[in-house]
Amino acid sequence: MFKRPSTRRRTAPAEIQINLIPMLDALVTMISFLMYTMAFLAFTMIESPLPIVSSEQNEIQLKDKPLQLTLTVNDKDVLLWSPFEQIPQMTISNRPDNSIDTLKLHESLIAIKQKFPSENKIILVPKKDTSYEVIVAILDTSKVLDKTDPIISVKNEKTGVQEQVKTLFGDIVFGNLLGE
Amino acid sequence: MAARRSIRDRRGRKKIHKDFELQLTSMMDILVIILVFLLKSYSTSTNSFTSVPGIKLPLSKTQEMTPDSLHLIVTPEAITFENGRVVEFLKTADALSTDQASYAFKPEDLDEGGMRIARLYDALNKAREKAEVLRAKSPARDEKGNPLPFDGVLAIQADKRVKYDTLRKIMYTAGAAQFRIFRLLAMRQDQ
Repeated sequence: MFKRPSTRRRTAPAEIQINLIPMLDALVTMISFLMYTMAFLAFTMIESPLPIVSSEQNEIQLKDKPLQLTLTVNDKDVLLWSPFEQIPQMTISNRPDNSIDTLKLHESLIAIKQKFPSENKIILVPKKDTSYEVIVAILDTSKVLDKTDPIISVKNEKTGVQEQVKTLFGDIVFGNLLGE
Repeated sequence: MAARRSIRDRRGRKKIHKDFELQLTSMMDILVIILVFLLKSYSTSTNSFTSVPGIKLPLSKTQEMTPDSLHLIVTPEAITFENGRVVEFLKTADALSTDQASYAFKPEDLDEGGMRIARLYDALNKAREKAEVLRAKSPARDEKGNPLPFDGVLAIQADKRVKYDTLRKIMYTAGAAQFRIFRLLAMRQDQ
């Protein structure tokens, strides 16, 4: 009787190799597509409505005495004031290089927002020669709440729940757009 | 001589092993990293705004997306509305000598006490009328069955050096042509 042959394999198992070429093709195609359709320039926008004069609204507002926060850009400083004297007038002097001190301005705006958390409107009155860059910087300062800023909450009139404010003064109107 | 060189060349040539296979794993790694990076920084937008040579946009921290709308560009030479040059700026002596744009209007281009830009007003009015006609033909209706009203949105793309006086005239003119909302474009600055 012969012995039964061993089932143990003596040869090393054949190496299994995944065919990476189709995957490589797919990756190259995807990268090409993404690079072709990608928007490398990220635009953003700051919206501002045209100021509308309405006598009816004015009458209602006059009864309530609104804040009507106004930011006036002068040659050497920036003024924060309310025509109805809801806040004392604040003067933020420019830096030594005559650029607007946006940090101080932002701090002052936060202090006002903490006092009037439901107020969302700011009227911007730039000078004739104020550059677009400065206007955008002021709009940013007036609108955007930084991560390091204190949390400001306001009561939602519909739900009655206190909600965190997401923007500082989001509704920006140019005060002298229709005339001085 | 030629035969000798041929033999020498053949000796010098490295033999390629029959089982040679290109190692694609490292290349795959690189491609996957590039793909992940692209997917992370990918941003799609529905607008047709593009950068314009000669314009340096200001930086802004706002993160709002810019939906498509009628588009006005203030270049150092002229005001362009919907890819058509509408008004050319005055070329002053200072502007020519210093290569700085004046952004000043010719007196004949202005009316209403120097506040309205006449040609721009005409162009904006035409665009509004066209938009109103399109809306009248569109099946989209409001609750009462009337065509949707003209949204009156104008995106303004201007150089960061443009003065408020120029912007004010543009916005005043747009307001006269029943444009009610202005979108001031800027470059997004990461916080």
